[in-house]
Amino acid sequence: MENNRKVLFSIKDLNVKFSLRGQMLHAIRGISLDIYEGESLAIAGESGSGKSVLMKNLIGLLDKNGRIESGSIMYNGKDLAKFKNEREWRTIRGSQVAMVMQDPMTSLNPLKTVGWQVSEALRYNQNKRGNEAKQCAVEILADVGINDPERRYNQYPHEFSGGMRQRVVIAIAMACNPRLLICDEPTTALDVTIQAQILQLLKELQAKYNLTMVYITHDLGVVANVADRIAVMYAGDIVEIGTCDEVFFNAKHPYTWALLSSLPQLGERKSDLFSIKGTPPNLFFGVRGDAFAVRNPLPMAIDFLHRPPYFQISPTHKARTWLLDPRAPALEPPEQIESIKDI
Amino acid sequence: MLAYIVKRVLRSILSVFIIICIVFVLLRMLPVEGYFGGRYDLLTEEQRQMELYRMGLLDPVPVQLFNFLRQLVTEFDLGLSSRIRVNVPVTTVIADRVPISVQFGLISVAIGMPLGMALGVMMSRKKGGVWDKAGTGYVAILNAVPAPVYMVLIQLYGTMLLGAPLTFRFDSPMSRVLPIITMCLPIIAINAFWMRRYMVDEINRDYIKLAQIKNVPTTTIFFRHVFRNAVVPMTNLIPLSILGTIWGQIIIERLYSIPGMGGLLIDAILARDNALVQALVIMFSAIGIFGLLLGDLLMAFVDPRIRLHKKGAAR
Repeated sequence: MENNRKVLFSIKDLNVKFSLRGQMLHAIRGISLDIYEGESLAIAGESGSGKSVLMKNLIGLLDKNGRIESGSIMYNGKDLAKFKNEREWRTIRGSQVAMVMQDPMTSLNPLKTVGWQVSEALRYNQNKRGNEAKQCAVEILADVGINDPERRYNQYPHEFSGGMRQRVVIAIAMACNPRLLICDEPTTALDVTIQAQILQLLKELQAKYNLTMVYITHDLGVVANVADRIAVMYAGDIVEIGTCDEVFFNAKHPYTWALLSSLPQLGERKSDLFSIKGTPPNLFFGVRGDAFAVRNPLPMAIDFLHRPPYFQISPTHKARTWLLDPRAPALEPPEQIESIKDI
Repeated sequence: MLAYIVKRVLRSILSVFIIICIVFVLLRMLPVEGYFGGRYDLLTEEQRQMELYRMGLLDPVPVQLFNFLRQLVTEFDLGLSSRIRVNVPVTTVIADRVPISVQFGLISVAIGMPLGMALGVMMSRKKGGVWDKAGTGYVAILNAVPAPVYMVLIQLYGTMLLGAPLTFRFDSPMSRVLPIITMCLPIIAINAFWMRRYMVDEINRDYIKLAQIKNVPTTTIFFRHVFRNAVVPMTNLIPLSILGTIWGQIIIERLYSIPGMGGLLIDAILARDNALVQALVIMFSAIGIFGLLLGDLLMAFVDPRIRLHKKGAAR
């Protein structure tokens, strides 16, 4: 990917902490990330790695017990990390950043018609009301692939199937006319057959409206087809980031290797599915060295002592692991991931 | 929707019918003194049997039940009172007591329910905040202290501080103040409690988050999404609590000598007024079922998931 594209969001050295039962949980540990205009970026990692928390910072929906300890999030010349009140956030939400949540069964208000809920988004973001809003909402519903939108406009969410509801949620996000659309595991709650359709829809909408997309996922297989770049998160930090091809075929971080190894491969019957031993570190206590060291099958002594810096592999590819240090012994990635040819 | 209503109404009528049968059969076991008023000891055994025969009380129970139902349906006749008001139809005895209870009940609910719901809303706005703590304390105290204690205290200090009359008089508006305040207290507590709970349920819903994402102003979200949705389960509660307030004020009506419904059942039982006991028990159960019915219908009215359910089945 060319390196001179316009940066939309620039996150610099972001630290987020949560106070939980009187203790401080360090959920985001110094992340820097640029989101380019028009790209689609996937953030992958296991549950609790901080991928959702990271993105919630862009829309001001951090849970009440969490706060930004340090760092900045630059957007349009403004630092979102300094935003204090709802009034400031309302300049961002909807019209600049929208989000599609995981579970379409619970993300729509059961007592309002689908059309009303789309129109509400139009009203507060595009200042369209009454008939104009209705017309526009019907168009958007048709746009996200809902048949007979005039009739569907007046129906309630319980009259829609799961896949159709997710289309409605996407329609609501589109009605906000955002520049950045965050998709928080948009297909996790759906049937596998529907997943592909929804991803295809998101891809089409992105092309049509020149959206910038961020996919949050724990399933690398899901994003392989839609993402330009992949950021792999572990324990509140991005351990590796690169283009889709670089992460899939030239991964450098042992955690990325482990993630890729655990992808089920069609037609492979030889062995059990790979799983990563151990549990992620407890973020209530400070993490020393490389957070993944304790689960790494072949750790080095330095992994337990010092946090690795980023090593640049290509202009678009970098990873945080001591393995890339010139003094480190050469270590080949596990053979399981050699078999990943196409996803 | 119509199918749902019809089905629900029919089911309620069936329930009432079953209850009438059960109550009627059970009350056949009451001692027969209850049908004679004060004259029981003055009559010989033969005279008693004659009188029972005349009243049809020696017939087999199914026959009695059939006659009772026929009279109830055709003439709305529930029998005669034997002790509370001798030889007056029980329907009249009850009807004379109803208006005053309805008046007190409706006023208290009209004041207490909005106050309770408002308190619940305030409590839900900030978890662990001042309103939440104060409200929770209020609900806890009101539930922990036996009702007669605060009722008597209000009567005692209320009359001293406000100069309100100690007992109820029809011509004195002031004499209604203390009973109504007393009735309101538990209504406020129960409504605040449930309202807070349903509000908190709603605040944590995903679709509230989606409303935030789509840039709806906070107050609008609070009223249009959270409050509106929290009221739905509340509506189910409303009719029953209104009816309960109207018929259930046993202690308060006693304390202030209000000639309402509340004490009537106890009086009837103590006086062994069999026909009146029977009528009241049937009436209370019918009212209870009616309240549930009304609650469900209201709920169907405000919730499209029930309203539009094709099979009309209750959820």
